[in-house]
Amino acid sequence: MHRYRFVLFRPLQFLPVLFGISIITFILVRLIPGDPARVLLGARSTPTAIARIRAQYGLDEPLWLQYFYFLENLGKGEMGKSILYKIDVLKLIATRIEPTLTLVLTSVLLSILIAVPMSALAARNNGRLADHAVRIVSTLGIGFPPFWLALMLIILFSVRLGVFPVSGYGETIGDKLAHLVLPSLTIALSLSAVLTRSLRAAMIVVLKSDLATAARARGMPESLVFWRHVLPNSLVPTVNLLAVNIGWLIGGTVVVETVFAIPGMGQLLVRAIFSRDYMVVQGVAMVFACATVLVNFLADIVTVSLDPRVRL
Amino acid sequence: MSSPVLSIRDLTVKVPIDGETRTLIDAVSFDLAKGEILGLVGESGSGKSMICRALVKLLPSPAIAITGGSVLLEGKDLATLGEDAMREVRGAKIGMIFQNPTSHLDPVMRIGDQIAEGIRYHQGFGHEQARAAAVEILGQVGFPDPERQYDNYPHEFSGGMRQRAMIAVALSCNPKILIADEPTTALDVTIQAQILRLLMDLRDRRGLSIILITHDLGIVAQTCDSIVVLRNGQLLEHGPKRRVLAEPRHAYTVSLLKSHPSMPDEGGAVEVEQIAQQTRLQPLLEIDDLVVRFPTPRLGLFSGRKKQIAAVNGVSLRVMPGETIGIVGESGSGKSTLARAILGLTPLSSGHITFGGSDLAQQPRQTLAKLRTEAAMVFQDPYNALNPRLTIGDMLAEVLKVQGNTPPDGIPERIGELLDLVELDRAFMTRRPRSMSGGQCQRAGIARALAVNPKLIIADECVAALDVTIQAQIIDLFRDLKTRMNLTLLFIAHDLAIVRNLCDRVVVMYRGEIVEEGRCDAVFANPRHAYTAALISAIPDIDPDKPLPKGDLPPRNEPKGAPVLRGQPLISMQ
Repeated sequence: MHRYRFVLFRPLQFLPVLFGISIITFILVRLIPGDPARVLLGARSTPTAIARIRAQYGLDEPLWLQYFYFLENLGKGEMGKSILYKIDVLKLIATRIEPTLTLVLTSVLLSILIAVPMSALAARNNGRLADHAVRIVSTLGIGFPPFWLALMLIILFSVRLGVFPVSGYGETIGDKLAHLVLPSLTIALSLSAVLTRSLRAAMIVVLKSDLATAARARGMPESLVFWRHVLPNSLVPTVNLLAVNIGWLIGGTVVVETVFAIPGMGQLLVRAIFSRDYMVVQGVAMVFACATVLVNFLADIVTVSLDPRVRL
Repeated sequence: MSSPVLSIRDLTVKVPIDGETRTLIDAVSFDLAKGEILGLVGESGSGKSMICRALVKLLPSPAIAITGGSVLLEGKDLATLGEDAMREVRGAKIGMIFQNPTSHLDPVMRIGDQIAEGIRYHQGFGHEQARAAAVEILGQVGFPDPERQYDNYPHEFSGGMRQRAMIAVALSCNPKILIADEPTTALDVTIQAQILRLLMDLRDRRGLSIILITHDLGIVAQTCDSIVVLRNGQLLEHGPKRRVLAEPRHAYTVSLLKSHPSMPDEGGAVEVEQIAQQTRLQPLLEIDDLVVRFPTPRLGLFSGRKKQIAAVNGVSLRVMPGETIGIVGESGSGKSTLARAILGLTPLSSGHITFGGSDLAQQPRQTLAKLRTEAAMVFQDPYNALNPRLTIGDMLAEVLKVQGNTPPDGIPERIGELLDLVELDRAFMTRRPRSMSGGQCQRAGIARALAVNPKLIIADECVAALDVTIQAQIIDLFRDLKTRMNLTLLFIAHDLAIVRNLCDRVVVMYRGEIVEEGRCDAVFANPRHAYTAALISAIPDIDPDKPLPKGDLPPRNEPKGAPVLRGQPLISMQ
């Protein structure tokens, strides 16, 4: 299947991309005003103590040498020590990545489960009541800020109905998923709105297209025409839109993680920025960047599998 | 003939627009016998497609409705049948094939699955059974390796093979009636001949009745048993083919027959003497060993470096001022690439183009400036080539302003002159393309080309999208303009009959090369290259006694003297 040949070769292109990302995050992090040693030692620290801490973390070295150490550590599978948590950044991230990853995954699944039927309903009833209803709902979904949605969901489902936990993250799988329902729903409500708008528009075009007419002309019932011909031909633009949004989501779970007190990457990043924990900010930014690259790669694979005409 | 398979009585289709009701089909009646091929002839807007859409009740908009009459099929009146019952008719009783197979086939579904889909639904076959049946049908419509080609996607086939696939889809459920809506309009002449032959063959083998919608009377003359002539939704004439062609009863049928380009034309005689005198002049355009290559997408896993495909491969041509040259060839022969190269719209790989004494490769800036002021192009699709937001006046004014040769206060008068030249009323100045017909748009496109006061006009398939009567008008306009303005015209077309009527010289291209070149009458009377001969014989003649070539058409892949291009991405038939 030479259509999928790029799956073998595309990863080679990741190396220069990731190298570039590492340089940019390295420099950007150091442009943050403030001194991590001073933050660590508090307001009444002595200059000598600060100098000692700076030397300990290599912060007194020239910038290019710091970057060299960073790369050297990366080669050993380390990302330097967190100033705040005193452990290696990679290990730190490993403890925090699971909640975020699960949250992103459940949110995306939920969005698709909402967006596809909503778009189908709207497109097949184009111009009628159901279509207008879907359009209003999706406009609201885009319009409402997530933190407000989150609070409303907590008030309704946790406080009033007591169905789902208010905040935090569980220990067992079932417990974790229960904790993730409301956060995922918060994200999915706005993400599915974006997807629905794109998918609905594509479906309306394909429903009127020649290929749908041809399928009807060979006697296919409308439901088969829709699910077998219209849907597959409408998906590609939305898949790419979803990929862009997942990239944004991975770095954008901060608000939701904060509202629901989920110990994930977003929370870690915010705390690290406030305490000038360079190594952590750098590490988290690198992970986000890698994830974005990976998501786009996956989207390319999905696109190729959906449309045999696409060659990458 | 025996009792009709399909009997249409007083079929009327109406649509309400802005409070009033417009009649699209006006009480049309005709019968279709078993094994009959019936030609529905008429110009765009005559309602020929609408009738066929009405037969299977797939009208383009829910507002359009059958308001009267009956369509009797096996004792049932389709006009009153419900949607569920209609599904049993579509595909299983009446199959449809369409003009554009590329847009009517699902691009993301395997060809075979699209055929098997109907079989499974209508005949309740299992997966394996349906696949076997689909493979069988693929073989019948001329796929050389149906077992393997079942799994190919539509884009992996050439246009002709896609149309065969479309026919296979339509035949999948053994319909009794096949409706073919302009099935060959998008295809080259030799492929057209193959598809028409296939349709006739299927009629003979399966006893199909076929309704063939076409604007080409040549096709009707060659394939149909009877003819229905339509205009403005009304049936003007219905009768056996020979009677209608020989003694048309309606004035409109007469004018349709007159417009057909294969009819001998007295007006367009070539002034051979005049051309002979001009050979002493400097050529206006000189093309010397021109090569234009494009990179092709990499295919196999190990095919390594990108291959190049030569769209134009070593073409040399001299064009004298005032000459009209027809460039003919099938799609993919490099005609359009040659035109684009001449205008500097695509980079040359090697060779020279000299326009009015300056070389495009050596003095690109100077030559391009010259080309932009002295050469112009008329495009195939008049709607897409005009900016829909601009009125015709604005569009022409834009060209005149950029040109800078007309003083600003003289522009309105010049626009009026240009519209007079192309025989458009001056009132069109304030109209926009969407409120104009195809022929009017093409006239506006020609006016835009004339606005630069060009020496050379390149017309790329500029009448291919128009109805025959409009085609004839545009050709007359070109003939008139070239004598009045001493224009040099490069006329690119796949329709040989039009070239024969208009041009002095003809150049036949095949796979990027010129295979034959010469005076029009000489080439058409006595083609020297096998490919030219094949092209000429594939034109459906309006005389039913001059049938399409019976035997196999010359192989597409290896004509004498033309090298086979490597890396051809399409699966072609032979």
